[in-house]
Amino acid sequence: MKRRKLFESAAETMLFASAFLSIVAVLFITIFLFRSGMPLFRKVSVFEFLFSSRWEPTAATPGYGILSFIVGSFLVTGLALFIAVPVGLAVGIYMAELSGRKSSKIIRSSVELLAGIPSVVYGLFGIVIISSVSRTLFGGSGYSVISAAIILAIMTMPTIINVAEVSIRSLPKELKEGSLALGATHWQTIIRVLVPAARSGIIAGVILGMGRAIGETLAVLMVGGNAPIMPTKLNGMVRTLTMNIITDMSYATGDHLTSLFATGIVLFLFILVLNLTVQLALKKSITEMEGGAGA
Amino acid sequence: MKKIASIIALTLAATGAFAQYSGNYTFGGSTTVAPIAYPAIEQFQKDNPGVKISYEAVGSGAGLKALLAGQFSLSGSSAEYDAAALKGAVATPIALDGLSVIINKKDTGIKNISMADLAKIYHGDITNWKQVGGKDKPIVVVNRDESSGTYASFWELVCQKPFGKAVAYTRNAIVTKENGEVAIKVLSTPGSIGYVGMAFAQEVIKAGGLELAIDKVMPTTANIVARKYPIARSLFLITRSAPVQGSVEKAFIDFVLSPRGQSIVKSADYIPLPVK
Repeated sequence: MKRRKLFESAAETMLFASAFLSIVAVLFITIFLFRSGMPLFRKVSVFEFLFSSRWEPTAATPGYGILSFIVGSFLVTGLALFIAVPVGLAVGIYMAELSGRKSSKIIRSSVELLAGIPSVVYGLFGIVIISSVSRTLFGGSGYSVISAAIILAIMTMPTIINVAEVSIRSLPKELKEGSLALGATHWQTIIRVLVPAARSGIIAGVILGMGRAIGETLAVLMVGGNAPIMPTKLNGMVRTLTMNIITDMSYATGDHLTSLFATGIVLFLFILVLNLTVQLALKKSITEMEGGAGA
Repeated sequence: MKKIASIIALTLAATGAFAQYSGNYTFGGSTTVAPIAYPAIEQFQKDNPGVKISYEAVGSGAGLKALLAGQFSLSGSSAEYDAAALKGAVATPIALDGLSVIINKKDTGIKNISMADLAKIYHGDITNWKQVGGKDKPIVVVNRDESSGTYASFWELVCQKPFGKAVAYTRNAIVTKENGEVAIKVLSTPGSIGYVGMAFAQEVIKAGGLELAIDKVMPTTANIVARKYPIARSLFLITRSAPVQGSVEKAFIDFVLSPRGQSIVKSADYIPLPVK
């Protein structure tokens, strides 16, 4: 009896230690990032850093403006979501409502496989296939905003599909039954009842996908072109925040290095805001569901 | 215990590496030489466990200055200095550095380019193949990132004369991180141009790319050794006086010139010195 208790408390302590460790890790990374990046703002104003597009860290009078990369990140991510959301949502709905058990299983395992492919493989696929397809369709060199967006769309789709499917599946049965009982068709039920009811969950999935897209580095590095210029055309080259960090990291020193950490801070804040939004959306979806069940 | 000691002794004997040199040394100089210097030093220190060497990549000019001022005991250089600049110091060539210009066969339509036109392409003044006698298609410029020694070499050898010392490549270029990435992007993009270490160009040609002649001279080892091919230069190690037998500096230079050292040269994408 005593031994069981001892074992239990040991297991508890270990689980607590693991949880504690992950919190400490996040904390240390945050502190490290800010400590390494903030000193830049003694030399360059925050305004200039965020709103200038002159990135010439090794010039005689260095310029540390990352506006082009912020615009690049959002342009690529936005376009990727524009492609991935409709498709992902459609697949999610299909899997939750329309497909049979067997086909749903097949789709699910292929989507999971899609999520498991390393990003460098996506990048290679991008260089060989996507860049040439996008060159034929949209012109330019093929290393462009649109190529990067297509790759990111494929990479974020599994997240969107999964979350959309799960949030539709987890809706109370009564919603669907009630709608059908009132004489609505299956299609009307999906579009008018199920999707609106699951919207918070779906939004959370989209934002999760967005987080993945903004943070993705290697695949976009291989197809984006990586020129440090303001993206002006969809078939023109782009450099995102993550690409900027990885390109310059290997040789940057002094203020240049600090500016890369500062770029990391900007990225960190974006992701933080996105995650908070996800949590809010999920919270809302839970209260909605509880409210629905109570009524 | 005895066994271990004898094994260690045997290994040392086999590599011929009895610790005959010792002490701390500071080398420094060219960033282009650094990719040779770092692995060579690592190997040299393994052979001579008593020796600690550091190499500071400060550039050829600053390296020579520090050598003459006594801060470095050996400096690496990618520039060839005359006797007046060397002030009695001695430069020993250790490798050749040649760059090949490669293009995609599609949408380009040239086989030769002049140095002046090449410089204009990378400065951003020429943007269509028509302007250099090719097809009426836009030029897709592929460049390296700033960390690469090749990036600096190419500017120095090609663009510095018309456009000045400060690097000012066109910003409208694909930025790549490796020779291999240049190759894959040039091979997959019609109308593109890039530059790689000469050793690497063979791979590109095998995969269907085209190596350009510069001012009608092809980049071959023979042409580089004969100083006919313009985008090439020698790399040197400089000592304050003729290398003294028995000094670490002399031993290091000998190591770099040995077959093992020259294979390091090769794996750093430079051209080993021709065997006499």
